[in-house]
Amino acid sequence: MDWSQHYPAFATQTDSGPEQNGSATATAASKTVTADVTIADIGCGYGGLLFALAPKHPSTLLLGLEIRSSVTTFVHEKILALRSQPPTLSDHNYTNISVLRANTMKFLPNLFSAGQLHKIFLCFPDPHFKARKHKARIVSPTLCSEYAYVLAPGGKVYTITDVEDLHLWMVEHLSGHASFARVGLEEVEGDECVGVMRRETEEGKKVERNGGRKFVAVFRRLEDPPWP
Amino acid sequence: MVNLQKRVEGWPHVRGRYLSSSEERPASLQPFEGTHRAAEEVSKKRLVIKPPTAEREYLAAACGSRLSSICLTTGEVASTWTANGETGETSGKEKLADTGEDADGPPAKKQKTAASSATGAPNIIKLTSSSDGRHAVAVTDDKNVRVFEVHDDGKLVELTQRAMPKRPCAIQVLPDNSTILCGDKFGDVYGLPLLPELQPEAQERATIESPAMTPSNETKASFKPSATTQTVHTKRNLKSLESQMKQKNLTPKTKQPLAFEHKLLLGHVSMLTDLTYASCHVDGKERGYIITADRDEHIRLSRAPPQSHIIEGYCLGHTQFVSKILAIPSTNLLVSGGGDEWIGVWDWPSSTLRWKVESFGDSFRQAQGDSLAPPIAVSGIWLVPADLDGNVEGVVIVACEKMSVLAYCPVSELRDCAPGRQPRWSFERFDHTILEVVATGSMVVVSFDARAQDQQRLKAYELRITRDEQNVHSVTSRAAKHTQALLDKANGTTSETVSDKALDDMFYGIAKLCKRPRDEAAVEEAEEEAADAAD
Ligand SMILES: C[S@@+](CC[C@H](N)C(=O)[O-])C[C@H]1O[C@@H](n2cnc3c(N)ncnc32)[C@H](O)[C@@H]1O
Repeated sequence: MDWSQHYPAFATQTDSGPEQNGSATATAASKTVTADVTIADIGCGYGGLLFALAPKHPSTLLLGLEIRSSVTTFVHEKILALRSQPPTLSDHNYTNISVLRANTMKFLPNLFSAGQLHKIFLCFPDPHFKARKHKARIVSPTLCSEYAYVLAPGGKVYTITDVEDLHLWMVEHLSGHASFARVGLEEVEGDECVGVMRRETEEGKKVERNGGRKFVAVFRRLEDPPWP
Repeated sequence: MVNLQKRVEGWPHVRGRYLSSSEERPASLQPFEGTHRAAEEVSKKRLVIKPPTAEREYLAAACGSRLSSICLTTGEVASTWTANGETGETSGKEKLADTGEDADGPPAKKQKTAASSATGAPNIIKLTSSSDGRHAVAVTDDKNVRVFEVHDDGKLVELTQRAMPKRPCAIQVLPDNSTILCGDKFGDVYGLPLLPELQPEAQERATIESPAMTPSNETKASFKPSATTQTVHTKRNLKSLESQMKQKNLTPKTKQPLAFEHKLLLGHVSMLTDLTYASCHVDGKERGYIITADRDEHIRLSRAPPQSHIIEGYCLGHTQFVSKILAIPSTNLLVSGGGDEWIGVWDWPSSTLRWKVESFGDSFRQAQGDSLAPPIAVSGIWLVPADLDGNVEGVVIVACEKMSVLAYCPVSELRDCAPGRQPRWSFERFDHTILEVVATGSMVVVSFDARAQDQQRLKAYELRITRDEQNVHSVTSRAAKHTQALLDKANGTTSETVSDKALDDMFYGIAKLCKRPRDEAAVEEAEEEAADAAD
């Protein structure tokens, strides 16, 4: 992945020499970023969470992942627009967020290396009600292993939904996975990301307007046990 | 130090005594019966087994729904077993339903189902054995995993049959000789005890899955909709809830929990294509892994049970489906191939691609004498024995779908080749398209798609590694006459006629895993649709 395209403000050039004109590959290879993406919003939709978290984590790179290309185009354009605003209008320039079209259920390990992420957000995922479609859910016993793989020990998975059954499902499978433990209520309520998740996601706002309930759960990535 | 266990696991037959000094002439040779001869070609599953206390090696050959074992010393058929459709849990009707459920699979698979329904008995689609040679495991296309005891006289006795929720597509017995790894094309890998407990309590414990992961929904009670129009707000979700409510009868087809012990070990969302157990040594201790490959370019390294919920890494670099992987025992090398024009040679514990064996496809097409042949689709990667100055050396063999060429590379070359150099492969053209390669004690048996009457479908070869003055090696084959004499009796028997199309559908499904560029948009669309249709 050439992340410098996504975060040009964080791009650095190695000492390998001056940028070569006309050679796209040489440019891509010599460019890199000074920081790794550590926060991922899976199924980011229209990006409400990203835009709200960006100013709160100015030196952290955040990435929204979304499967619908029309939606990623919208978020991408919004990011570019915010970045090009004159600095006086906003004290934050949104250089630390980006968006990528990807099916995260298949390609998460292609995007992040082992232990790269500190936070994964799963906000109002599609519920896939029918039992037959449960394998399509963004949380499953086997997908939990992939979330654990890209998360650093101590990192967290944040979940929120208005569908109680889906909430119970996610709790069951994440708590039931040996790489995760549910985070206690006090710590959850004290986490500012939880508030952002409740208030700033597009779905969170809709549920709010309709007076619906929101179920939140957070899980910590545990250290791997030693080899047997 | 050579790990004997691993040697045996990865390459069970090097120690076979076939064609040793005490060579026996075949006393009597029982040819296959003509009636199931063609069916045998159809399922093309073969395996050489030697029970630990037995004197002889046996070639186990799946013949459609029949499984025969042929003594490789005498050519006698030691036993023949037939899968009985009626004893299985599936009726013809249910099979049709399965086909519907597997609708996104390659068409070849569906054809197989249809073929098996026609005769009433399920076809054998996978065959493997435990490393101690005591048990053979077959998968039939009615989703059953069947375990056989191999007697010293080569007799195969079916001990158990277990119906999996989805059709298994890759199977292996772990080196502990007591666990079957079973992957299905929906991406899940289960661990089953080789021999299930037959006591009644086992039934109760049957659905207990890996304590490291929650049970999958297969074993859980049906879903009751808890969302209401009040709690669902996206258009998408609302639509799904509506459609759900429209189906007045909300009792979903409740899945019967599997009535035998099975653990969900790991899973891919992508279609699984191959799996293998492998191990490496760290600080003098052995670490076991399960390596899995999928249609979406991944090769995944997971810890072996009981920690299979931990992913240790990925070997990423393929830009096309990966169809076959081979972990070479006693090395850290993994050879991978699929729809890419190159073969990968990995140092798998470090996820490092040591070599992209470049222009592999070109070399295949050149050896084939058909420069316009389509992109390669790797259909098999095997490890076989070869002779190097009187010693047995391992050779990796690669075959590609619809090609009559085999590519060879000695393991020593892959192990010792300097990083700056490309390992040297030899290519050899045969008369017919290659289907399968099986290693016996000191030779290889190759099965060909030789459809015309009186053609040799099975041929035995000895491989030899030679080096020229510059120490450049090459691998060549020569006919193994004695074994060929045994095989020819089988080759000579007449076949039942099966249409060319039916044979093609059975033999060639791998190239269909390719997502052609023009399909890409369609694939993406389908994925989006899937995301949209949140029901
Ligand atoms: C209900 S929306 C929630 C959007 C946003 N998180 C929010 O809270 O406002 C769920 C989103 O997940 C996306 N999605 C579903 N499956 C996905 C997948 N496999 N990979 C990436 N995105 C996915 C959908 O396209 C949709 O935009």
